[in-house]
Amino acid sequence: MVELKRKTSTFFGVPQIREFIVHGVLASIAGILIITFSLISPQFATLGNFLNLFRQIAPNLIASVGMTYVICSGGIDLSIGALLAVIGVLAALMARVINNVLLIIVVTLLTGMLAGAVAGYFISFHNFPAFIVTLGTMTILRGIALVLTKGFSIPIDPLHPVIVLGRGWFLGLPVPVWIAFLVILVGGGFFTLTPYGIYVAGIGSNEEATRRAGINVKRVRFFLYCFNGAVVALAGLILAARVGAGSSYVGQGFELTVITAVILGGTPLAGGEAKLLGTFLGTFVLSLVGNGLIMAKISPYFTGIAEGVILLFAIVANRNLRLAIQRQLKV
Amino acid sequence: MNSEPELLRLVGITKSFGPVKALENVNFFIKKGECVGLVGDNGAGKSTLAKIISGAVQPDAGAMFWCGEKIVLASPSHARALGIEMVYQDLALCDSLTVAQNLFLGRERISRFFIFPILKRKEIQQQAAKVLSDLKIMQVDVNKKVRDLSGGQRQAVALGRAFVTAPKLLILDEPTAALAVGQTMRVLEVIRELKNHGVSIILISHRLQDILETCDRVYVLYEGRVVAEHDKKEVTIELLARLIARAKEVPIGGA
Repeated sequence: MVELKRKTSTFFGVPQIREFIVHGVLASIAGILIITFSLISPQFATLGNFLNLFRQIAPNLIASVGMTYVICSGGIDLSIGALLAVIGVLAALMARVINNVLLIIVVTLLTGMLAGAVAGYFISFHNFPAFIVTLGTMTILRGIALVLTKGFSIPIDPLHPVIVLGRGWFLGLPVPVWIAFLVILVGGGFFTLTPYGIYVAGIGSNEEATRRAGINVKRVRFFLYCFNGAVVALAGLILAARVGAGSSYVGQGFELTVITAVILGGTPLAGGEAKLLGTFLGTFVLSLVGNGLIMAKISPYFTGIAEGVILLFAIVANRNLRLAIQRQLKV
Repeated sequence: MNSEPELLRLVGITKSFGPVKALENVNFFIKKGECVGLVGDNGAGKSTLAKIISGAVQPDAGAMFWCGEKIVLASPSHARALGIEMVYQDLALCDSLTVAQNLFLGRERISRFFIFPILKRKEIQQQAAKVLSDLKIMQVDVNKKVRDLSGGQRQAVALGRAFVTAPKLLILDEPTAALAVGQTMRVLEVIRELKNHGVSIILISHRLQDILETCDRVYVLYEGRVVAEHDKKEVTIELLARLIARAKEVPIGGA
């Protein structure tokens, strides 16, 4: 009993060490990538390139906020890539007839929430696995995008005010970066400061215990998928505005890139914990690969290979470092 | 003790899980400040009965009366609102949450920022530490995650949860299963203290000695039915053990 007490106090803060390892590994990988690519290409480590990089990954950053908490709740959303396409197409179609940016934002956000609500309804109130439900909604959403476009790309007039959301600049930073920053601040702040972050983690950790603690787990989970749909809609709108078109082929594999970033950042796929900072580091590291390969004039076809290698390297490094610490714990 | 008013009464409670009849026509009551033991073999229906009282499981048939008024417990939060707290056998803790977060899960201390409920982290941590230190079962760091705790510490946290608010009825499902002798004695002491403060307690335990030491009355369950109800003075450990194991052969009420 006395020995036990001593042990727990000596190793106070072990979870923080785990997080430290994940962040450290990612930061090291980022450092190695940055140094390597700047040695190959003088244009890589420039402010211009990094601003462009952040503008490009803004949709990923925004969507990853939702995905981090969805995964934290023990769920997953495979439909976000297809939703990205639907939203882009919808925005492009609306831009033909409506000049009001605010209206376009509101309608796309509501559409995203609706898509999230449909998936959330089956996952929360009928207890179907999120993987299967979102696999279904993914196919439906992709189909809707195809029906709406008939397979063609729908251009947005470059002079339309909605384009600002993707290409505009504000106070020296690209508008998408500002929006991403805002979503991170509001979304991350909401789940960190209110009890809902605890509820989401509780559901991911022990759903039955969370229910018995008096929390309406069905409702929390339902609104989580609605929230996820809304942030993905925002990401889709920004992407369409940046590209200047809506297409049914947009966002293929987007869900996997975002999930990879979340896992890379240390959020366990089994749920129970959300590591938002890790997710951003993960997103940044993954984006460095694609961008760096292009800047270094290496075929971008290598991107997938490099990303996969990084993912595997990161999880191996994380586990080995953690095991080393656990061995120390037992001594 | 007999003069105290009735707190809870269950009449004809029946519950099935698919083809399995977990409870059949169970009648039960508990008075204010009374400690009632629930004993029975594994699968006798003790935990199911406890979960029905705590609102975690809804019965198929039967009625519940709280202070004489008919109630339907639709959810655990409903039961909590009445003042019913339960310590579950499986502890019902979230491994990835901290001790303080587990203690206050579902009843976080908050302040308002516009419409948003904002956690009072400091207050939650301080109160969690106070609850656990007042309980004096085991020293636990409230900022640690539950997955990093020992079995005894988890049990202490699960018990601590019941003391975050002042409950009127406390259900303890095997509260000492993971505890050492000294800590078990402390838990029994806590039960007696609560009883003296007018809290009603339902104690489920395999340790018959604990039941006899703390409870005023004992219900014996066998295959989902109440087969005996005895005053503490009427029973011995031997009789209880016989009732639990070979309940069929003993007539109801026969001591």
